Parts: sequence; structure tokens; C-alpha cells
Amino acid sequence: MITLSDIPARGGTPFTLPMGLFAAVLATAPFWLQWVGLYQYLGVEIAIWILFAMGFNLLFGYTGLHSFGHGAYLGIGAYGFGLFQKSVEVSLWGGLLAAILAATVAGAIVGAFLSHRRGIYYALLTIGFGQVFWFTAMKLHWLTGGEDGLLNIPRPDLVIGSWRISLNDNTAFYWFVAVITAVAVLLMWRVVNAPVGRILQAIRQNETRARFVGYDVWRWKWLAFTVSAAFAGLAGGLFAMAQQSAYPDVMSLHQSGVIVMMVLVGGGLVSFWGPVLGVVLYFIARDVLGGLTEAWLLWYGLIFVIMVMVRPEGLAGLLHTTAQRTAPPAAVPATKPEAV
Amino acid sequence: MTSLVPHLVNGLTLGLLFALIALGFTLIVGVMEVINLAHGSLFTLGAYLALSTIGAGWFAGTPFGIWWLELPMASRYFIGLALGPVLAGIAGMLLELCLRPTYGKAPLYGLLLTFGAAIVVEEAIRLIWGTGERNMPVPQMISGAFLMGGLIFSTYKFYAAGFAIVAILMVWLFLERTPYGAIIKAGAHDSEMVRALGYDLARLRLIVFGFGSALAGIAGMVMAPIWGLRPHLGIDVVIPAFLIIVIGGVGSFWGAVAAAILVGMATGITGAYAPAWSLMSMYILLIAIVGFRARGLLGRRSALEN
Repeated sequence: MITLSDIPARGGTPFTLPMGLFAAVLATAPFWLQWVGLYQYLGVEIAIWILFAMGFNLLFGYTGLHSFGHGAYLGIGAYGFGLFQKSVEVSLWGGLLAAILAATVAGAIVGAFLSHRRGIYYALLTIGFGQVFWFTAMKLHWLTGGEDGLLNIPRPDLVIGSWRISLNDNTAFYWFVAVITAVAVLLMWRVVNAPVGRILQAIRQNETRARFVGYDVWRWKWLAFTVSAAFAGLAGGLFAMAQQSAYPDVMSLHQSGVIVMMVLVGGGLVSFWGPVLGVVLYFIARDVLGGLTEAWLLWYGLIFVIMVMVRPEGLAGLLHTTAQRTAPPAAVPATKPEAV
Repeated sequence: MTSLVPHLVNGLTLGLLFALIALGFTLIVGVMEVINLAHGSLFTLGAYLALSTIGAGWFAGTPFGIWWLELPMASRYFIGLALGPVLAGIAGMLLELCLRPTYGKAPLYGLLLTFGAAIVVEEAIRLIWGTGERNMPVPQMISGAFLMGGLIFSTYKFYAAGFAIVAILMVWLFLERTPYGAIIKAGAHDSEMVRALGYDLARLRLIVFGFGSALAGIAGMVMAPIWGLRPHLGIDVVIPAFLIIVIGGVGSFWGAVAAAILVGMATGITGAYAPAWSLMSMYILLIAIVGFRARGLLGRRSALEN
């Protein structure tokens, strides 16, 4: 089975074929979404979840730490954004900053508890903490509005110099989200291809060995968790803007499991771009299968189960092996770096 | 102090019921080192199947169904109590067959596969029985309430707690005092050696998974009158189950029982002072115990740590 470490170090140049494709699709989506029968808001949703899923994959795929409670940090970001608008001031950047900050602090605290653990115990503790946050959000009525959540969160205008752009229109909002997602993805690309990324992958392959080589494994695991929570918080802030509300449902174990499913189905374990495929497939499945049958989740779950059974490396892994099979044998070593 | 007594009794019965829920879970984790996230869904499935058995289900309206419904409630109930878990056990065996490709890989894959299976089962339940909440009927002799020391207790809860005690003892006797129990324990300890001795490991795993799932089904049937029956009940169930396993120590039978009673008591006592937060206490307990003692109360080293 191939792994993420098959991606060679190449000084982190982002100008690769998948990056170009990703940028092109992200930049042109509003022009053809309606034409293929979808709608603008779906683009917003997909872009936000791509941001969330890719941040999650820093932890899940690259560092090999399996968090099953990551929805909590998305939720904390959403509440951070909403509470900032409601009780401090209506401000776009202030709100997003508050979202990132809230999730980072929560992630840093939880990460400190988690980072001594490994394997399934790590996963179990993330479930425990995720449930604590979810439960707190449900019960702290005066702060979070309980089960209904915070409603009527405003979408503040984007102000650049003397420009003032309203984001209330979904197309304008899409551009805003797309730019933030693109910048965040570039940032993550830098991180995973920098020496830091190599250290994280070393921890995934063999934690003990990484420690013997001299890395402070605890600190790197903590950092991976905190950074990934920060990205989740940013996604959460955008999510609160998109939904114009923040509610505890996104923090549930179910939602945290769904993000793991997306990343795995897409192939986050073998490719930087895996989560993108996974998120797009999930939302298309939700809308297309959901239009055909009430029980679309049943079919999606079945696809997922079969995928774990026969092809745990996901869609990206499938593309990779197909590319290898169709390429002439001599070209295999040369095309391998470009394949995923 | 008297005001605390009902909460303590409640906590103890809840703890015994948690132990019943965790029983099948700990068996599967101990022998197969698979965290079965579908445990809660099999629990729910068992209860729904029992419900359909009691209410004639798909035979309603046919001569057989009419004859069936004329039988006394109690006998239908006890047949449901047997049939629901058996069918849940068969579903569990199917799940085990699906799990086979993940053996020998990281435990993550087993976790993911059972999570997917949990969603599939839950959606299937929604499709078959509808989304609404259902009530599990209970025979006359174990329903109602009684007075003890000036306090009102529900008869059914006592029946359920007694049932839990019997089930725990039976499983323990099965594991400790029968040859098959010895093979299962040996399989948990060193599966290679069991294979080398000529036992069919694949069949052993299939049976253990089926048995664990049947226990989930029994727990579902017993718990349904207390918690109500809804399709997404599974997730409310699997979380206490695995919390208990982690607190008690993975693979430890009495660790799980002790943890279950601890969690039940903690929930019961918190319920006395802050009812809204009573479920939170189990998560705090988890973090407090596992944060300082990774393997739980009575845990031993297992492959799941790597």
C-alpha cells in the first residue's frame, strides 16, 4: 500500500498539476455550478469543508493521529465567530480571528492532554474531549443558546480601504471563502513539504524511532493538533457566516465521524489532495443520492464500508494505481511524484 | 442523607445496566482488538427486532399473526427476548465477515469500518421502522412501581438490574468455566498460539463477534423500555460502552464491570445535584482516569496501543 510519504520532498513548489486543477476549479466554480444543476451555496459549503478536511488531514493523514472529535473545534470556531458578533462588535476579521483563537486555545489545552497517548487510546480520548465540548455547547444555554444554537449571526461586510463589499449574496461570499481556502491550502502545502512536514510523517511511521532520532515527539504532536484545531476554527468561523448560525450538531460524534469518512474516502491517507476529493464526493452524494432517496446516508455508508474493505487508500489511491497501470513501465518512476 | 438514597440506588441500577451494555463490547475488544462502533446500532437493532416479534411484525394480518397476537403478552415478550438477540447476533456475524480484510492492519480500519456499519444499520432501521420514537411493551408482572422505605421505585428497573447481574455472571461463568471460554480467552491472549494448536481462528472470531452482538441485542431489549426506542439510539449507547471499556481497561472483564458501576454511580450522584449535567460526569471521569492512567483501572498491555 502506498502512503503519504511517497510524496517526495521538492522544496515545496506549489506549481503542480493537482494544485493548478484545484485553483482552476475553485476560481471558476460560480460560472458553471448552476449550469451543471447545482447551486451557489453548495460551492460555499464545499470550500469550507475542504478547508476543514485539509486541516484535519495534517493531523490524521500526515501525523497519523486519529482524532474522532474534530467537529468540536469547527463548532468552537463557529461559536467564537457568533459570540464575537453578538457581544463584542460586528466585525468580519475580528470574528474570524476570534474563531481561530477560540479553537486554537481549546486545541492547545486538549492537545496537552492527548499528546502522551498513541494509537487507539489517542482516538478514544479525542472522542471523550469532543463529547465534552459537544455536551457543554448543548447545556450552556446562556452562552451558546443550547440545542438551537446562536441564531441570526450577521455576515459583516468586507471592507478593503474605501471598498465595502456586502457578503450577503452567496456569490460574493463564495469568492471570499474561496480566497481564504486557497490561501490556507497554500499554507498547508508549505507546512507539509517543509522539514516540519517530514517530522510529522516520521512520527506517523514510527513514533519511537522519531524520538530516538532526537525529536521532541510530544511537542510536535501537540503542535499538529493545535494547528489542525486552528484551521478547524477558521472553517468554523466561515461556517457560522454561511449558516448565519452556530449550533451544537456539527460538534457531535456523528459529524466528527463524517469528516473522517470524507478524508478516508477521498484518500487523505495517501495524498495531500485526498480530502478535496472526499469532500466533493460527499456533498455530491448528499445532493444527488439525497435527491433520489431519503436514505442516501445508507448508500454512502455502504460505499464507505466497501471502500475500507477493498481499497482503504481511497479515491486518490485508486487514481494513483490506475495512473501507474496505464503509464508505460519505464515512465513509472518519473510519473510517480506527479501522480497524486 | 435519605434524599441521596434513591439517587444511589438509581446510580447502582444504571451502573449494572451500563455493565450489561458494555459486556459484548468488552468481549469483542478483548478477543479481536476491534473497537466495534456498531455495537450501539446492533443494540438498537436487537431491540427493534424484539419489538417486531412481540407485535407480530411482518406477519400482522396473516392467520399466523392473528394467532400469535392471541398468545399471552408475557410469552411473546420472552420469545422476543430470545429472538431479537439471536438475529442481532447474525447481523454481527455478517459484520465480522466484512471486517476480515482489516485484520492485521492498523486498528484504525476496524474502527472506521464499524463506524460505517453503524451508519448503515441506523439508516436501515430508519427505513424499516420509521424515524419516530417507539415504546417497548412490558409484561404486567414486571411493570409498575413499588414502595420501599417510603420511596417509590420502578419494578422494571429492578428487573433489568437483576437481569444484568445474571447476564454478567453467566458470561463470566462461560468464560471461566467452560472449555470454549478457555479457547476464547486464549485467543485474546495469543491468537497465533491458538491457531498453532489447531483451533479454527476464523470460526472463533465469527462466534465471538456473533456472541458479543447477541449480548448487545439482549441489552437493547432490556434497556428499550427505560430509554425508549429511536433509530439514533445507537450513538447514545456506544459512547457509554466504550467509555466504560477505556476506564476499566481494555480487555479486562471485571475492570469493565467496576467501571460501569463507577460511571453509573457518578451519573446518579451528579443527577442529585445537577440533573442537566449528569451525563457529563462520565466524560470527566474518563479524562480524569485515562489522563493519568492510560490503560484504565485494570487494563493490561494490548496491541491497540501501537
